[in-house]
Amino acid sequence: MDRVQPSGENYANPRTCFFHVLFKAAALAFYVLSALFVSSFVIIFVVTVFLAALDFWVVKNVSGRILVGLRWWNEIDEQGESVWKFQCLDQESLARMNKKDSWLFWWTLYLTAVSWIFLGVFSLIRFQADYLLVVGVCLSLSIANIVGFTKCRKDAKKQIQQFATKTIASQFTSSLQSAFSVV
Amino acid sequence: MSHGDTIPLHSSAQSDIDEIENLINAGSHPVTVLPARPPSPPRASIPVSFVPSAAPPPLPSYQKVPSSTAPTPPPLPITPTAAGFRLGVGIAADGFGSPPDTLTEPVLDTVKRDLSRIVSNLKLVVFPNPFREDPGKALRDWDLWGPFFFIIFLGLVLSWSASVKKSEVFAVAFAVLAAGAVILTLNVLLLGGHIIFFQSLSLLGYCLFPLDIGALICMLKDNVVIKIVVVSITLAWSSWAAYPFMSAAVNPRRKALALYPVFLMYISVGFLIIAID
Repeated sequence: MDRVQPSGENYANPRTCFFHVLFKAAALAFYVLSALFVSSFVIIFVVTVFLAALDFWVVKNVSGRILVGLRWWNEIDEQGESVWKFQCLDQESLARMNKKDSWLFWWTLYLTAVSWIFLGVFSLIRFQADYLLVVGVCLSLSIANIVGFTKCRKDAKKQIQQFATKTIASQFTSSLQSAFSVV
Repeated sequence: MSHGDTIPLHSSAQSDIDEIENLINAGSHPVTVLPARPPSPPRASIPVSFVPSAAPPPLPSYQKVPSSTAPTPPPLPITPTAAGFRLGVGIAADGFGSPPDTLTEPVLDTVKRDLSRIVSNLKLVVFPNPFREDPGKALRDWDLWGPFFFIIFLGLVLSWSASVKKSEVFAVAFAVLAAGAVILTLNVLLLGGHIIFFQSLSLLGYCLFPLDIGALICMLKDNVVIKIVVVSITLAWSSWAAYPFMSAAVNPRRKALALYPVFLMYISVGFLIIAID
């Protein structure tokens, strides 16, 4: 993916981007650096997992909406079945989404998951099961967001395609109707 | 095209037939007022697209729905040149006449909605009302924030109470509770019960609340007898809170098989609380 953006296009939502990256980076940084400063595993665990959970919430509820216009959640319907719901902005808004914003969104999502996997491998090599627990929790939160938003994006594309074909069909139908009414 | 303005949202749960009908209807008469979403529970997450058969007339609904203001045709909800972070400021609710939805609501609304959901789930689960109609359906709006906080809190309290090996105590408590919740859910599912995985996790997490209180009291008062009494009371309370949901989920003949492990897990947590010194 090219890093050179067309001139004049900047981040459209700089503060949202900042918060999007902030908690991820804070969780990773705290986990990596804490071994130098903090001796208690409990504090490392609680702070890292809390930051990761905050990041999960921010990505799912705020930056997903604002940066890429997608949202996903789970509901339980009347029959007691679990339904995954996806929502996206309409096509024009989606097309207007800032490219830089969405580039940042997706790439930081993937990078975070990869970083956690690396850290997990390190703690595995060092046979530290309790640190593996921390990494496991943070990794599962990252992966949950990745899976949710990827499904949502695929669903959005499908919706747009269906919408486009139906619009063409309805326009065709209405023009046929008008043609027949004239005749 | 104008259709883009009138159909702001797509939802996968929307039936295709409804969409086709709407497109044909929209083509035949111009839609100037956007159909509003049917009034929804505070969760506000129902598929937002218009459903012509079910939607009430648009205008009165605007009064019922809190975050929509002017019913004018919308400028786009999120513009690239708009300011960034919108904490506390109503964004696209202004002038965005289409159904207010969770996609464009202000951030503070999301926070408030989630917090109120946590509180309502807590009240529902932990203070069970014996006259409630359908216990199995009560935790519809599951969320994992409550369980997260309660498990962490319990681990922290146990860790503070321990005089040695604090880290191990915390890690063990957290792992046992988390793994225990997952295993108990699998147990119910394998017994042929009808329960959603996350709903059950959420329930078992919320039912830890009484044990949290018990652990806190035991940490403050070091007398063994008081500890035993407090733990027994909170243990009974936790089990009583978990009972309706679990028993509603399985076949009546398998009720004991589903409930026994839950009780076992709470008893082991209770022992952990008593035995910590």
